[in-house]
Amino acid sequence: MWERGYRLARGEGWVYVCVMAGITDVLEWARQQVSSRVPKADMDQRDPDYIREQLPGLWLLASLYFRADVRGLERIPKEGPVLLVGNHSGGNLPPDTFVFTLAFCSYFGVERPFYQLAHNLVVSMPGLGSLRKFGTVAANHENARLALESGAALLVYPGGDYEVFRPSWERHKVDFGGRKGYVKLAREAGVPIVPIASVGGQEAALFLDRGQWLAKVLMVDKLARLKSVPILLAPPWGLAVSDMVPRLPLPTKIAIEVQDPIEVDADDDVVHKQVLESLQAGVDRLAAERRFPVLG
Amino acid sequence: MRVQRHCVINADRDTVWKAVSDPDCYPEFMASLERWEPAADGPAGKGARYTVHWKIGSVPIGGVVEVSEFDQAHDLAWIGVSGVSLRGRFRIRDAGNGHTKVIFRLAYESAGNLLGIIADRVAARQVGRNMTETLKNLKTMVEP
Repeated sequence: MWERGYRLARGEGWVYVCVMAGITDVLEWARQQVSSRVPKADMDQRDPDYIREQLPGLWLLASLYFRADVRGLERIPKEGPVLLVGNHSGGNLPPDTFVFTLAFCSYFGVERPFYQLAHNLVVSMPGLGSLRKFGTVAANHENARLALESGAALLVYPGGDYEVFRPSWERHKVDFGGRKGYVKLAREAGVPIVPIASVGGQEAALFLDRGQWLAKVLMVDKLARLKSVPILLAPPWGLAVSDMVPRLPLPTKIAIEVQDPIEVDADDDVVHKQVLESLQAGVDRLAAERRFPVLG
Repeated sequence: MRVQRHCVINADRDTVWKAVSDPDCYPEFMASLERWEPAADGPAGKGARYTVHWKIGSVPIGGVVEVSEFDQAHDLAWIGVSGVSLRGRFRIRDAGNGHTKVIFRLAYESAGNLLGIIADRVAARQVGRNMTETLKNLKTMVEP
């Protein structure tokens, strides 16, 4: 009887190993499928004429719907590569990103090369190919280095999907989730960091939870580098899980403050702390001017 | 889209011209000016280039402009070289009794077909208000 039990246990263990191996293969296959769809960064895909034609539409949206207010653009160095580091808000439809893109292109002209890093899923999503004409490339160190080496301005959101899906009651908190690779990037490229503080984006919907646990349950953290599957309340769906289905962002007032450049001449932790403090101070200033959520 | 405003200033044409033709005076009298800087070295006059941005709506709008007419105490006109397609003009005319009539014109056209036309029309009200304010500032600046 003892021997029978041992044989059964060995058999079940074998089945378990086979099933796990199968899952691992499927996960690896799915991961390859997703990563193969991420377009290679091609700096030449940015199209100034296309951007020029889109600016009036963006201006209408930014001026009438989001009543945006952008300050301090003169603090960005007039030429040469620069790393623009912002706090990220608004889920998969971040109003602060396109408002800042509009402001940068209007102020410096569409001729000045300007790229933005975005999550793999954003740049590979069907229908969003036009973002590449705006200069949006997949977020990885290699693409960022290429952009800066080409002499362009580069906009990054180190907080990424961790920060952009934070609960709405933490809307005025700058939280990169401990990510500070951007400092190394700036140091290697020899460029200054310009912090871009913004408020209002996290009021475009009511974000309830980052859903990091859900990302783990659904295994999208391994399949698609997606650390969050947020739970939010947003029109027209009401309660929504994940932010993949198009929704109507609330007409929240967006305020953006461009801050003084920070030279990367100290330890990574010191520079990271300096950037976070500068951003948080800017966000606090802008938040203090808001009287009501959404309305501003 | 063409927007025009005018005013009569209690000063002679030469006095008005002195202010209008001096690039250093523009930050003082031009309303909603967000950025004003020479784009190239050289004296004020035909061919001089400046980077100009007005705060219209949510963001600064403008680009590099080039002075296309520099007619002493008469006309100063410019065209947009980059950014929004733009033509601007100050017409300075004698209004008698030591007064001067100043006409300020801006004609602009955004890219982007239908959205561009809508944006131009939406912006026109604010552009008009800025132009009125500009002439008011100019009047205050040059009148004795």
